[in-house]
Amino acid sequence: MFKTILKPFAKLFDFQARTHYRMERHSMALTAGIIVAASIGGFVEIAPLFSIDDTVEDVPDMRIYTPLEQAGRDIYIREGCYACHSQMIRSLRDEVERYGPYSLAVESKYDHPMLWGSKRTGPDLARVGDKFSDDWQVRHLVNPRNLVPESVMPQYAFLLETELKTSDMPGRLAALRAVGVPYTDEMIENAENDMKGQARPETEAADAVMDRYGDDTAVRFFDGRRDRVTEMDAVVAYLQILGNLTDLAQTSQPQAEE
Amino acid sequence: MMSNLTGAERTTAMTIAGFGALIGLAMAAAGHGDPMGVHGWIVLAFFGVLFFIVASALYSPEPVEDRALSYYDDPTKVGIILALIWAVVGMFMGVWVASQLAWPDLRFEGAWSGFGRLRPVHTSGVIFGFGGNALIATSYHIMQRTSRARMPGQISPWFVLLGFNLFCILAASGYVMGVTQSKEYAEAEWYADIWLVVVWVVYFILYMRTLSRRNEPHIYVANWYYLSFILVVAILHIVNNLAVPASWTGAKSYSLFSGVQDAMTQWWYGHNAVAFFLTTGFLGMLYYFLPKRAGRPIYSYRLSILSFWGIVFFYIWVGSHHLHYTALPHWVQTLGMTFSVMLLVPSWASAGNALMTLNGAWGKVRDDATLRFMMMAAVFYGLSTFEGSFMAIRPVNGLSHYTDWTVGHVHAGAMGWVALITFGSIYALTPVLWRRETMYSWKAVEWHFWLALSGTVIYVFSMWNSGIIQGLMWRTYTETGTLKFSFVDSLVAMHPYYIARAFGGLLFLTGACICLWNVVMTILHVPQKAPELDYPTSSEAMEPALPAAE
Amino acid sequence: MSVKEHDPLTGHQTTGHEWNGITELNTRVPRAIWFFVIVTHLYALVTWILLPTWPLVTTYTKGILGIDQHEQVAKQVVAANVARADWADQIVTMPTDEILGDTVLMSRVNATAHQIFGDNCAACHGRDAAGGPGFPRLIDDAWLWGGDTDAIMETLRVGINSTHPDTRYSQMLAFGRDGMLGREDIRIVIDYVQSLSGIAPSDTPVSPERISAGEEIYLDNCAACHADDGTGDMEQGAPNLADQAWIYGGDKDALFETIWNGRQGWMPSWETRLSEVERKTLAVYLARLGQEATQ
Ligand code: HEC
Ligand code: HEC
Ligand code: HEC
Ligand code: HEM
Ligand code: HEM
Ligand SMILES: [Ca+2]
Ligand SMILES: [Ca+2]
Ligand SMILES: [Cu+2]
Repeated sequence: MFKTILKPFAKLFDFQARTHYRMERHSMALTAGIIVAASIGGFVEIAPLFSIDDTVEDVPDMRIYTPLEQAGRDIYIREGCYACHSQMIRSLRDEVERYGPYSLAVESKYDHPMLWGSKRTGPDLARVGDKFSDDWQVRHLVNPRNLVPESVMPQYAFLLETELKTSDMPGRLAALRAVGVPYTDEMIENAENDMKGQARPETEAADAVMDRYGDDTAVRFFDGRRDRVTEMDAVVAYLQILGNLTDLAQTSQPQAEE
Repeated sequence: MMSNLTGAERTTAMTIAGFGALIGLAMAAAGHGDPMGVHGWIVLAFFGVLFFIVASALYSPEPVEDRALSYYDDPTKVGIILALIWAVVGMFMGVWVASQLAWPDLRFEGAWSGFGRLRPVHTSGVIFGFGGNALIATSYHIMQRTSRARMPGQISPWFVLLGFNLFCILAASGYVMGVTQSKEYAEAEWYADIWLVVVWVVYFILYMRTLSRRNEPHIYVANWYYLSFILVVAILHIVNNLAVPASWTGAKSYSLFSGVQDAMTQWWYGHNAVAFFLTTGFLGMLYYFLPKRAGRPIYSYRLSILSFWGIVFFYIWVGSHHLHYTALPHWVQTLGMTFSVMLLVPSWASAGNALMTLNGAWGKVRDDATLRFMMMAAVFYGLSTFEGSFMAIRPVNGLSHYTDWTVGHVHAGAMGWVALITFGSIYALTPVLWRRETMYSWKAVEWHFWLALSGTVIYVFSMWNSGIIQGLMWRTYTETGTLKFSFVDSLVAMHPYYIARAFGGLLFLTGACICLWNVVMTILHVPQKAPELDYPTSSEAMEPALPAAE
Repeated sequence: MSVKEHDPLTGHQTTGHEWNGITELNTRVPRAIWFFVIVTHLYALVTWILLPTWPLVTTYTKGILGIDQHEQVAKQVVAANVARADWADQIVTMPTDEILGDTVLMSRVNATAHQIFGDNCAACHGRDAAGGPGFPRLIDDAWLWGGDTDAIMETLRVGINSTHPDTRYSQMLAFGRDGMLGREDIRIVIDYVQSLSGIAPSDTPVSPERISAGEEIYLDNCAACHADDGTGDMEQGAPNLADQAWIYGGDKDALFETIWNGRQGWMPSWETRLSEVERKTLAVYLARLGQEATQ
């Protein structure tokens, strides 16, 4: 039975093998063959992600990162937090019950690059924003084992001691605009001041941040220090915005209630 | 080494090195105050050293005999040594980061020694440093032998090998300084990425030119695989690294894509880095060294065709199996899952082809640790591809994703397959390359084999255990229908496995150190012996390419 | 060199080529391979028909099962809520005392609370709810806002000094930093505060004059919140200073820091993150832990 089914295939393959036998004498033919064979799949999977509309949800009020938050994100990348923390709650019941509504495509729409992660040595952070206090985040980063004795997370105490570099932020926002994040000229020009303002609630610069990025912007002494703006301010500001860029996920999904 | 270059070639080499040093100087000046500046100094030092090496031998005697009569093996030799050095460095970093997960305070004060910064040093160190150098070196060896032709240039092989190592150095030193794009296996920043493109184009040209000089009508299977490795890695690298630098004088850049599109591009790249870096290149190695060592013909040419094209075509589709249940649209996930399952057949076809080739040589496998390395590699290749296809099935991935199970799978492939085939090939290659009678110590090879095997088994088993426990704990429900364990509960359960893994890794690292030692001792202490018939020839009777008298 | 030869061992023909000593047999592809090619392709084909798979420029094939991952998990979550509804409703509506006495419901609470507490609260209050520097112990009788279930439920719902619009709000003023009290005054009031809770005021006994000077400062500055006798005010979340429970510590250094720089603990709001059942479950769980701790 199997033999008869197979016959036409075997014939076809015989033909192919003979063709191949001739083709493999030409390195350019081999090159062309490889390029063609290896291009199809990628094209079919990636190109439609740009052309199929419902790939990314439409959310008009989707927020962009403030310069301070973006700086925090850059530090998050620099320190390799993504090596242990995912930012992608999968559409599985246990993940939704543990971490909250599953992540939507739109939530990483302005993430260049995305930080979905591939390993959870630590918990998912997609919705960690506002889950803990600034003070907790600071103390946890300074030494995780002070708060969670079982933790294997590294200490990042130096963040609290390192003054935040603001001078390259306008360039960074401009680059982000070049890849599609809607920063305005004004935002780019004032990036440095906005960074400091967001971490200094008592200054006028703080009001300016709210004007530019919305009244919901968190303006606080994130690192608890009043005297200077540190890298810790940036990282905590970033962590506190995770999951809060849009509330579409919370409003559109049924919530687990136990 | 220098005596194989003519005066003109030495001048060219010096010009290139001088030009590179200038670029380094420019980077150092422009990137002052940014890690890019440090990279500038590294580039300057790198080319500076090369410049002086060449300069100091500029007027030494030129080659007298006709170089076309022999294969060009100097770059291969250096490549093999570099691969082994990177193996020791990269695996040491592996053992270190593994230990940090068991004992998190095992680090220095500085930011550089945190897990997040060291982990990519390990992954890039072993994949690119160890794997990449081994691939480049063996490809030089194999393309010349199977084409019966010497490589065309004298400079370009060096340019590719050393240029690639410069890329590795920039990548690894960058991670330690916090320079990273965060894209797994493509973390290096924009200028290193651009440099790699230059190196890779030269590599491709070199490969094609050697093939075009061949004295054998057909191109051997191993070369198909190397060619696909070179070509597809180029495509992947260029597309996934598209980015806009925040400034031309700083290291930071932002990926062109964002969110879903970026995720799909990243894992299209990431998976195919596995496919075309960690698989096809090493299959090329397997297809040459295994039959050679076993002294047996390849079991089936037809199977080679089927598995080669199957691998090239199917692999490209499966990247989305890294994104199951995520915000990536469901349809792409289905494609990734089904193609991963179909991919199993060509994968097993190549593993089977290798193992069946050993028919008639099993006695040798028993006695010869070198061949045993290759045999084990084929077994692990089959094992990890089976596991991979299994993990690509959505519900299975629901459990395995994000856990140590993935890490276990990775290392079954990386240690069991990639590293074992490389070590086997190095043991087969070293005596031939350096014209030695034999390896310095066969006992040491035997030791290495058992250390590597037991290290891999301990590593993989502990990660299977921890991964599955972790995955299950995250989704265990009480009878009440609520989750049973908190995240920290699962973290506590991992501790013993993390210790076991670090131990397994230590065994494996010990083996790698023994290998480096053994190769060095072979070069230093084993008597010379010229092999017969190891020269380029266009004649069927295996005479040198040109009569020696000319 | 294309003389086809036969391999003596297998009898198969070679392809007739030789590369540096390597030859290839032209063996037919084994049947098992074809078998698996067919099986895996059939599997793929069936899957493509059933599930969303092929992109079509602006849309994609939906698959005849009509499955979508997001709808699937939504269904599961709703079904899980329904499955838990019987006891979940009881937990919400029944008074805590009754739940504590109901072994069936308590088994639900115990099974449920461990994970919720572990993933949400333990980071601050410790895995055993025993608190830590800056985070109150939840298993004693000292409460900022009240220890009955309603008060705790409200604390959990809105949080303390959190981002919730109705948050409980409290602040310990920064008497030193803001220039209301000098260093010496603060040292004096510290001695008084310590005397309230009967902490042995270190080796050197404090003179009664100093204590009464402290009392004066206290009554002028602190009593509005912490009450005249130091027992605190649950209306404002001002802690009892006359007991042994401390959030930030009762030693001189900690007290100085508290009074000089002020305090404003942040307890997150759990209204959106945890459902009412979950919050009630936690309240009951804390009540149980409290009972056990005092026994
Ligand atoms: C070695 C792995 C590792 C690295 C690297 C790491 N973490 Fe963690 N992280 C953990 C683990 C394990 C936990 C859980 C235990 C704990 O809370 O400390 C955790 C917990 C956290 C939490 C609390 C999450 C929750 O919901 O409980 C936050 C926030 C966090 N990490 C942020 C970071 C940031 C920011 C970085 C980088 C600067 C980072 N982590 C780097 C392992 C890591
Ligand atoms: C970010 C850290 C943090 C987390 C997480 C946290 N708490 Fe708190 N909690 C606090 C702090 C700080 C206070 C005290 C506020 C103050 O000092 O005014 C507090 C106070 C409380 C109180 C009021 C105590 C009283 O005396 O009135 C209760 C009850 C409580 N927490 C329960 C919980 C529960 C249950 C959870 C988990 C769902 C939780 N907390 C999670 C920090 C936290
Ligand atoms: C505006 C009201 C207010 C006034 C006035 C006030 N306190 Fe407080 N105090 C609080 C609040 C609210 C807290 C709790 C802060 C927290 O937990 O975050 C507190 C906390 C404290 C604590 C820490 C208790 C612990 O458990 O660690 C001490 C000590 C204290 N106050 C002493 C004083 C003294 C001494 C004065 C006068 C000099 C004073 N307070 C004046 C509201 C006040
Ligand atoms: C000495 C032996 C080795 C040890 C101890 C070791 C250890 C580790 C550790 C601890 C991690 C991080 C896992 C995590 O984040 O939880 C890791 C990741 C990784 N290692 Fe190794 N490793 C070793 C050898 C190798 C080799 C030889 C290769 C490749 C040729 C390799 C490739 C990788 C890759 C690709 C990852 C990333 C896995 C992922 O992201 O899922 N490793 N290794
Ligand atoms: C048929 C062949 C294979 C398939 C279908 C396959 C499939 C998979 C799957 C499903 C994952 C898990 C993705 C996730 O959940 O995050 C994975 C991860 C991985 N596999 Fe394989 N695998 C195959 C062969 C191999 C081989 C031979 C290697 C060799 C080293 C390898 C290396 C890796 C690496 C490095 C990762 C980790 C990627 C990351 O998350 O960083 N795989 N593979
Ligand atoms: Ca990974
Ligand atoms: Ca890169
Ligand atoms: Cu993959």
